[in-house]
Order: sequence, then C-alpha cells, then structure tokens
Amino acid sequence: MPNSSPYEKMLQECLRGELRVVNAGLPRSQKRLSDLLHEEYPHVICSDGSTHFFKRKELEHLASMINTEEQEALLLLPMLIELGSNQAEAAIICQTDVEEKVISKTLSMPLTPKQGRITIYKPQLALLRKKLKTTTQYVFSPKILE
Amino acid sequence: MPQQLIKVRPTKIELVKLKRRLKLAQRVQKIVKDRLSILTMEFLQTARETVEAKRKLVDAFSAAYKALSMATGYHGYIALEKELIATEADPKVVAGSRNIAGVRIPSFELRGNGKPMRGYNLVDTSSWLDHAAQLAEKCLEATIEIAELQRSLELLGMEIKRTKRITNALEYIIIPGLQVTIKYLNMKFEERDREEKGRLKRVKVLVARG
Repeated sequence: MPNSSPYEKMLQECLRGELRVVNAGLPRSQKRLSDLLHEEYPHVICSDGSTHFFKRKELEHLASMINTEEQEALLLLPMLIELGSNQAEAAIICQTDVEEKVISKTLSMPLTPKQGRITIYKPQLALLRKKLKTTTQYVFSPKILE
Repeated sequence: MPQQLIKVRPTKIELVKLKRRLKLAQRVQKIVKDRLSILTMEFLQTARETVEAKRKLVDAFSAAYKALSMATGYHGYIALEKELIATEADPKVVAGSRNIAGVRIPSFELRGNGKPMRGYNLVDTSSWLDHAAQLAEKCLEATIEIAELQRSLELLGMEIKRTKRITNALEYIIIPGLQVTIKYLNMKFEERDREEKGRLKRVKVLVARG
C-alpha cells in the first residue's frame, strides 16, 4: 500500500507555494506619492525582496488628479486591489479619501467606499489596470479560500 | 474519462484523510483558478495594447522616414550627413520590473538625455530636420513601449500555460480521483454495515432456536 503522506505534503506545498507566489509582489511598505515624485527611480521593495518600479508618467498623472500637496502626501502607493472569494468583483483598499477620488476620476464614475474598501467589477478592474499599471497591485486575500 | 481509484486501505482513518485531502485540493484549485482569471485578463489587455502599440510604431516610422526624406531633399544628402555626423544622443532607458499575480514582468521607461539641443547646427539646418528629429524620438519611444509589451505578453502567456496545466490536473485528475475514492470507501463501509446486520440477524435466529 502506498503511503499517503507524500501526496498530502505535495498538496500542502502547492497551496503554500501558490499563496507565496501570488502575493510575492506585495510591497513591504507603501510610499507616499509626494515622496515617490522626488525619487530619481521611484520604486518600492516587495515582500520577496524584488523591486517594483513606478512609471514617472503615471505618478505625474496621479499628481495632476490630486493637485494639492497635502493630498499627494496622503496617497499611498501602490494602491492595493484585493481579490476575495467572489471572482466577479475586486475591492480597492482605501486608507484615505484620496484613493476614492483618484479611482473615481480614473473610472469616471462616482464610487463610495464601504468599510475601507471600494468594490469594483471585472470590466472596471481592467480599465483601472490599463490606466494605472504600475501604481496598483493585486492582493490575494485569505478570504479567497473561504 | 473513468477516474482511477487511489489505492488506500479501506479504513475510517483513510476516509478522514482523503476528505481532508479533497478539501485541500479544492482550496488549491480555487486560488489557482483566481490567479488564472487575473492572468488571462492581463494577457488580453496586454495583447490589445500590443496591437495598438504596433500600429503606432508603424505610423511613427513611416512619418519619420517621410520627414527624413523631405529633409534630405531640402538639404541634400551630403550636407545632411555632415550635420548629423556630429550629433550625439544619449537617451536613458530606465529598466525595472513589476509583479502581476506572481509574474515578474519588465518595465521600461525612456527618460530624456537632459540636453535641450539635439547637437546639430541650427543655423545651417531647417525646420524640416527638426521635424524629422522630433519624429525619430517618437519612434524610439514607440520601440521601447513595444519591447515592454511583447516581453510581458510572452511571460504572461508562459505563466498562463503553466497555471492551466495545474488547474487541469486538479480539475480532471486529482479532485475527481479523490471524490471517486471517497465514494468507493463510503460504499464499502455501507456494504460492511449491511453484511454485519445480516450476520447479526442470523446469529439472533440461531440463538433463538438454540
């Protein structure tokens, strides 16, 4: 009779590996837009030690959306897009009102955050990712496994 | 396709283990499927952008060649070559990477060389040459953009292929195999229960007779 433990171990490894791989791009800490604009090579360090570069054009585009310096200081980048248990929608994590303002302007529609999250649907997500490629990042939440 | 039974001892402990394994496999499948859907979305988006960028590149090169021919016609080939031989451009391409659902893809950005002048003599040249130079700069931008997009497309495609293999293995081999084995074990236990009941009835009859 074959021993079942290697099989189970393989599945466990696969699950652990997948979770590690999908969330490898998460930043160790987010940076403020105002700080990034002053850096020569704007970037953040990811959880796996790699660097995530921001395109200056995108940063300048964001800065043009929120003109006051105070607001620039409040916007933390990259903005996190959480993928939960529902495959059809995603949630943008909002720490301040600035994120809401930026996303609303990018998608050209009014949005209301609920419990610190803005829920958007797949077509809107595609549009958002098209416009803000480097300033947004996916987070695979543990809720995905529920 | 008939599913293969996993060779296990028909015991309750094995059944519990199999159920646990099935739950785990379903969790892995969920996360892999979500990742696949995001990667596919990004791949399609990149493909659309690549088509657009290719069109832009062809247009930019065509316009630049036209402008260069005009400038050559105006100045003459030898005079233009004499002017352009002294020019030097030092464009800076910033290369970095970004991560999309676990795939590291390159990110290129063209930065200006910091020189306000293009290097050729403005007195001896005309606006035709300025126009040609301006269009050539646009060509460079378009080339860098397409380089980033094409590499992203390749990497995303490879990752989609790999993830699809995992999803298919889970969906068509591992999970059905586990389900079939659990069903088989359940049936085996039910049969044992029925046999046990029959045996007990027979013993009861024998005891009653005796």
